[in-house]
Amino acid sequence: MSTVEDRPTTATTGSPRKNGTERRWIGRSVPRKEDPKLLAGRATYVGDVTLPGMLHGAVLGSPHAHARIVSIDTSAAEAIPGVKAVLTGAQAAELVNPMPAFCAEPVPQTAIAIERVRYPGEAVAIVAATDRYIAEDACAAIRVEYEVLPAVVDPEAAMAPDATRIHETLDSNVAFHRVLDFGDVEGDLARAHTVVRTRARWHRMCASPMETAGAVASWNPFDKSMTVYSNSNFHNFLPWAFAGMLGVSTNRMRMIPCAVGGSFGSKHFITKVLAIAGALTKATGKPVQYLEDRVDNIAANDNVGCDRIYDAELALAEDGEMLGLTLKIVDDYGAYFQFAHGQHGNAMAQPTGPYRIGSLRYDVSCVLTNKVQQGFFRGAGADPGNFVLERLVDKASEVMGIDRAEIRRRNFIAPEQFPFKTPSGNVYDSGDYAAVLDRALELAGIDDWRAEQERLRAEGRYLGIGLATCQERTGYNASEWWFLYDNPPLPATSTPESVKMDVDAMGGVRVEVGCPLWGNSPETVVSQVVAEEFGIDPNDVSVTYADSTTGAMSAGPGGSRLTIMLSGATRGAARTIRDKMIRIAAHAMEIDPDDVECVDGTFRAKGVPGASMSMADIGMRAHLFFHSTPEDESSGLVAVHTYDHPYSTPPSADRTDMGAFYPMVSHACHIPIVEVDAETGVVTLRAYYAVNDCGTVMNPTLVEGQIVGGIVQGIGAALMEEYRYGEDGALDTPTFREYLMPSMHEVPEIVVEHLETPSPFTEYGVKGAGEGGRLVAPTAIASAVDDALKPFGVWVDELPMTPERVVDLVAGAHEGRP
Amino acid sequence: MKPAAFAYLAPHDLDEALDQLAEHGADARVLAGGQSLVRLMNARLASPAVVVDINRVGGLDALSLVNGSGPARLRLGATVRQRTSELSPEVAAHAPLLAEAGAHVAHAPVRSRGTVVGSVAFADPSAELPTALLALDGRVVARSRSGERTIEADDFFTGPFTTSLAPGELVVAVEVPVTAAGTGTAFVEVSRRHGDLPVCGVAATVTRGDDGSVAATRIALCGAGERPVRARAAEDALTGSDGGADAVAAAAARAADGLSPIADCHGSADFRRHLARVLTGRALRTAIHRAAGEADNA
Ligand SMILES: Cc1cc2nc3c(=O)[nH]c(=O)nc-3n(C[C@H](O)[C@H](O)[C@H](O)COP(=O)(O)OP(=O)(O)OC[C@H]3O[C@@H](n4cnc5c(N)ncnc54)[C@H](O)[C@@H]3O)c2cc1C
Repeated sequence: MSTVEDRPTTATTGSPRKNGTERRWIGRSVPRKEDPKLLAGRATYVGDVTLPGMLHGAVLGSPHAHARIVSIDTSAAEAIPGVKAVLTGAQAAELVNPMPAFCAEPVPQTAIAIERVRYPGEAVAIVAATDRYIAEDACAAIRVEYEVLPAVVDPEAAMAPDATRIHETLDSNVAFHRVLDFGDVEGDLARAHTVVRTRARWHRMCASPMETAGAVASWNPFDKSMTVYSNSNFHNFLPWAFAGMLGVSTNRMRMIPCAVGGSFGSKHFITKVLAIAGALTKATGKPVQYLEDRVDNIAANDNVGCDRIYDAELALAEDGEMLGLTLKIVDDYGAYFQFAHGQHGNAMAQPTGPYRIGSLRYDVSCVLTNKVQQGFFRGAGADPGNFVLERLVDKASEVMGIDRAEIRRRNFIAPEQFPFKTPSGNVYDSGDYAAVLDRALELAGIDDWRAEQERLRAEGRYLGIGLATCQERTGYNASEWWFLYDNPPLPATSTPESVKMDVDAMGGVRVEVGCPLWGNSPETVVSQVVAEEFGIDPNDVSVTYADSTTGAMSAGPGGSRLTIMLSGATRGAARTIRDKMIRIAAHAMEIDPDDVECVDGTFRAKGVPGASMSMADIGMRAHLFFHSTPEDESSGLVAVHTYDHPYSTPPSADRTDMGAFYPMVSHACHIPIVEVDAETGVVTLRAYYAVNDCGTVMNPTLVEGQIVGGIVQGIGAALMEEYRYGEDGALDTPTFREYLMPSMHEVPEIVVEHLETPSPFTEYGVKGAGEGGRLVAPTAIASAVDDALKPFGVWVDELPMTPERVVDLVAGAHEGRP
Repeated sequence: MKPAAFAYLAPHDLDEALDQLAEHGADARVLAGGQSLVRLMNARLASPAVVVDINRVGGLDALSLVNGSGPARLRLGATVRQRTSELSPEVAAHAPLLAEAGAHVAHAPVRSRGTVVGSVAFADPSAELPTALLALDGRVVARSRSGERTIEADDFFTGPFTTSLAPGELVVAVEVPVTAAGTGTAFVEVSRRHGDLPVCGVAATVTRGDDGSVAATRIALCGAGERPVRARAAEDALTGSDGGADAVAAAAARAADGLSPIADCHGSADFRRHLARVLTGRALRTAIHRAAGEADNA
């Protein structure tokens, strides 16, 4: 392992490392190519798309959590000048099909409710009008008569056999239940010296991207084709699924990606906005734009994060060796089940964390209630898992009297144990967890903070030092969506990423990527890889985005995979083209291809400085001089390269082994410093230290952005973000006045450092870094609050730690509550 | 999030504004800084047929010391921005509580548009400035086509977002008595984030007599009821006492007496009662300290 030197804080200039090969561009903080257009307002978002005659959509949402729709009167809305279409769920169903789902259970979902609404904000009717104002006037003029039904809010109560049923097509609100044992769980519990337990609560949150989900759909009634601009991620992965929903043949569906104003996982599929725009364009014959507003997005984004109750136990031997882990999870999925239990497949990648825990019981119940459904949000199911595991480790440290760093060190998977197969089957590629921990303790200056803590306690103030050491599984394979089923409806095994690269006649390099610009940095990464492979300047590489008609298959950003996958795809294409250029150069210079090397953008005879050809020389030859190229070479310099998952194995038929599906595993240790006002419950972050290992750091500035942004969202998870529903099922957090996220005022200086253990599985040794901040910060901050309030003996097992919850914890500790 | 259609009027002088308000009565809403009204309109929680923008009306932006009959008063006109008040040397000298409370309102860009009077007229039960006005024993000057009247802060706030203002009336100014030597004031609050409306906040004024005992106390709370409310039991407990630690603790313990706080996702009623007690203690300690003329961090 090598350390990236000279980076006391979040350094923005990287130095090329010397792990094996000397690299010129990989590892440098090349300025982000995406920034200028984003900062200058020149990127085209869905909201910027204007087509001739385009109409604007709006949605009328249900005010009730659960109700039967008795009648809908749209006549007043239709009479408003400028209104071109008003559609109820039943009318829309004649134009578009139900939303595709990954679940095996019969949980049908249409973009606009038919007969029954199942969560507050669910669409009841949609409108297209000449502008959004009129569309909203029309929504206000629609009269809906409801018969209110009992709302199912509490997930545990929802599990009762006699609970009000969310879907009549199911026998129970427990849409899915499965218990899986890996290893000798009972034996480990029996031989344990100590078993620590927690009942933990992780509430639902949403991704809150700056730009909400949206689409512009344009139906051509003459050739029955559909063009859709959207901020979906799956335009080059599942375009056929969208086509099926929109009732268009797959070869007449064109999806064009727009710049995306943030997603954090929430815009993979976004079928609802496409269905709404699609139904309205079919109804009117005009292009229609529908972009959720903030209220639509919070109430009905279809992609909220996990909502779990854990009963968890960690069994330990006398010396603190972790033996087994049991997790009994009730997960509140809300009213629909579009992504099935994918979030648990995801969590299964790293339930036992960085530790050598021998056995695991995973007992999961996916419960339906009258809330907006789950989808994906940064962490994607592994986030609460890290929270619970690290809380248990802290508790074991406390109960067994072993220092919390020491108990972790004793249980870390050692560097020589990689690749390491976890009890549930996933494989970890590489790591040096003790080195990360040691560096973090050093970086934070723990001794100084302990002294400060003591000084403040004498004044009646409560400073706390947190600690968490967590995994960040990166680079998913599709099996995580379905391996919890014995008979999955779609047991897909591909998560490809493609680029199309060409070198033109003047030597210019152009790369078309299949993924969208989702807020991350595909242009920069691709340019760095091309620069590395050809020795040219990354500024000279042009990167564009492919629409769905070019066939550049791409699962896109998600599961912290994009840098891994794009560098693989780009390197593959670059190598193909470079090899062809070498052959052409060798032919021209009349030497053996093995004697040609590509250095600084020129192809030269090894050891003969004078004999060389530029990229343009070869480009022109390849494009216009067929007779001057080797006999079996076709004209042009084009390559499409699809990079498939670099290391995956299928699950076993009996599901005792889920296979390797998320094997590039980054790691981090976070040390937040908090101060807690024990009387008011206000938690203030004073400082934050993070040491991260995501393998080869492709670009330190980009990684820093991911980590810091993730930590900020983690601060939200720890202290603020939570969907709350009233007993009647009403959403009590419908706007940003109630649903709170951290602002710059709540975020301390964040100091980030990197260690690097390259992945043996990927090109250049890169691992992902997209989710780590949020996967670690919540549990680290919980640990800090515990530490601050140690004099009271509090135990944080529920997030977010709102002032009221903290005051209750302190009061409960006074009363001797456990 | 688009407002319903409305007519927009922009009068240039007070008479014109009052005529328009009289003509449209309950169908009209005054637009001052727009920092609350526009949000309500976008969410269609308010759909006034007519919006009367008073920002061009001359003379409403005066911030001045008024020496008439009775004690001197500080007067803030209807278009005095919250930011102007917060940074004003007059306010710092004569009504520091207004500046201290005002600094907790939102963020500087919002305060640069939002007006002190607008916040008072909006009567959000969680807002800082109405609470400060109440603690300062301030008053509201309202004018309509039929004349001008003065409404004591104690009588102005009648419920959540409701006041004793009649349709057709415009608040032309708020006034607070000048804070004299021997009186200390303090504002403290707990909000979920910097710049958010408080979960609970306390504005306190304490006047010490010549013998050092507490001669007068006014304590007003926000986030603790359906409108800004006085903590009268705590006021009574402190007034006449020596203002020492025990007296403050005894007063703070009574700060939630008789409160019926609202409950929302930021705090239950019980939690707000708890905060009312904790924050009253803190506000009183600081106010007493300041009443004695001591520096804050002495
Ligand atoms: C992001 C954000 C954060 C905020 N945070 C806080 C906070 O922490 N604390 C807080 O107290 N407030 C907060 N606010 C609200 C802000 O303080 C508003 O400015 C204030 O409540 C209203 O003042 P205004 O001048 O903007 O009034 P407007 O929005 O123009 O009007 C508000 C209401 O008062 C009426 N009105 C205004 N002036 C008069 C008048 N002269 N006579 C009669 N009626 C009148 C209007 O008709 C309307 O009903 C926040 C606002 C925003 C946007």
